[in-house]
Amino acid sequence: MSATTIGGGMTAPARDPRVAGLLSRRRQRANLAVKALCIAATVVGLVVLASILFTLIRLGIGGLRLSVFTRMTMPAGDNGGLLNPIVGSLIQTGIGTLIGTPIGIMVGTYLSEYARNSVLGNAVRFVSDVLLSAPSILIGLFIYQVFVNGRGYSGIAGALSLAVIMIPIVVRTTEDMLRLIPTALREAAVALGAPKWKAIVLICYRAALDGIATGVLLAIARVAGETAPLLFTSLGNDNWSIDLTKPMASLPLAIYKYAGSPADDWVQLAWVGAMLITFGVLALNIIARVAIRPRR
Amino acid sequence: MGMTMGDTQAAVAEKAGIGPMTARSAEGLNAARISIRGLDFFYGTNKALKSISLDVPEKQVTGMIGPSGCGKSTLLRVLNRMYDLYPGQRATGEVMMDGQNIIAPGIDLNQLRSRIGMVFQKPTPFPMSIYDNIAFGVKLHERLSKSAMDERVEWSLTRAALWGEVKDRLNASATGLSGGQQQRLCIARTIATRPEVILLDEPTSALDPISTLKIEELIDELKHEFTIVIVTHNMQQAARCADQVAFFFIGELVEVGPAAQIFTSPRQKRTQEYITGRFG
Repeated sequence: MSATTIGGGMTAPARDPRVAGLLSRRRQRANLAVKALCIAATVVGLVVLASILFTLIRLGIGGLRLSVFTRMTMPAGDNGGLLNPIVGSLIQTGIGTLIGTPIGIMVGTYLSEYARNSVLGNAVRFVSDVLLSAPSILIGLFIYQVFVNGRGYSGIAGALSLAVIMIPIVVRTTEDMLRLIPTALREAAVALGAPKWKAIVLICYRAALDGIATGVLLAIARVAGETAPLLFTSLGNDNWSIDLTKPMASLPLAIYKYAGSPADDWVQLAWVGAMLITFGVLALNIIARVAIRPRR
Repeated sequence: MGMTMGDTQAAVAEKAGIGPMTARSAEGLNAARISIRGLDFFYGTNKALKSISLDVPEKQVTGMIGPSGCGKSTLLRVLNRMYDLYPGQRATGEVMMDGQNIIAPGIDLNQLRSRIGMVFQKPTPFPMSIYDNIAFGVKLHERLSKSAMDERVEWSLTRAALWGEVKDRLNASATGLSGGQQQRLCIARTIATRPEVILLDEPTSALDPISTLKIEELIDELKHEFTIVIVTHNMQQAARCADQVAFFFIGELVEVGPAAQIFTSPRQKRTQEYITGRFG
């Protein structure tokens, strides 16, 4: 561009085309370099993930037999299965989800819709975030102290500790997702004469359904593999038990017990268990995604 | 569709400056549906509206114009108490409708909002089907049979000039409609609850010219049944749609009068400057 005259004879500073070209080339190189770094980082991440999955399948698939699903845990060498840990995990994760999800969603709703800038809201949000990063063994100890102590180990205690771990995850995602809903949508519902709770339940939840469901799934995936909080709550059980007041088996505890054992068939079962948890969570994700999509 | 007898008479009467059958002032404006007297509005300690007094004529269009931040939208949000959602916002004064001060405490807000509907700047379709978008508001206030609801949906979509475009896909998601269609859906949703007054907050500012034209034609139709208040940044729109125009400037109502008078012979210098594009 050539110098242009403006106003009272002042000249706009001229641009040197050589400098401009140099800067442009430098930017293009920087752009390429950043792009290459991003791709490299993605590849590293994916390779790690893929190798975990591959190792799981390679070591787990060999032990995948019908007896895994039909037989109880047995002493080493007795051709045991994983029936009781599988059922125990389903029960404890299921009950934990049933307790943790509604509480988490309601707290998240309170934070987003009723207490956005209030002192109490900020305090609740802070505590929830602290809980989010608390080591899960602490949660186990907490449930042990307030619930197990005196009553004895039980399946319900395990479910409770999983619920406590789920709550802050669901709180955070629910609040974040509801905050993404435009104010105009809430106002539009209210402007039609809807009370606030109806605007939240019928409009905001619907608009945020995807995100809230993803949060719940993340929470389920997280607790399905938790071992530490179950150690002093549901303890584990080598016999068949679906009695919530008695100690209950679970896959993570079985993996914990078997993986380090010298018996080859136990180690094999530990890999099978790990593979079942992983693919169980994967299946849950896929099912939820398919179920949610058509409603949008 | 088309002009009715009443219309023609009104138009003639307006030109001649004489009132037709209904109670109409010499300026061609109907009797007030809402009377605002000495209204102040505060965002916290910041006074956003200063002693506003304004009559909203029944079954006519009141256009509110003025530069950004002058309080037009604030006044609109007073009329359906939308500000109640936000602590720290408050209004004092009188906004009389049917002998009741609607900004007084103790008013049933949900009922008030069913009588005074509102359409927003950006289309706000709910994430559900076209049919359910309409039914949502109706179900809040009435219990209708399936067939009555079907009728209501068709009635409101027809009134909003959208029926022909969506009648074959009422169960499709409303978010799949174009911006202009979404805004007409929002208007349909509002009139489906059969309000008496409709508030329009810059309803066409996010739309293309053709959609804008459709909505303006719609406003012309709707004023036979509803009292309409529209906030607009578009001077031509105010001139085309409004019967009465109110000009606001920094929280004050500078001038109000019949549209023709405001645009041809404003009494205030600031109004003159604003409508001729000297500022704003």
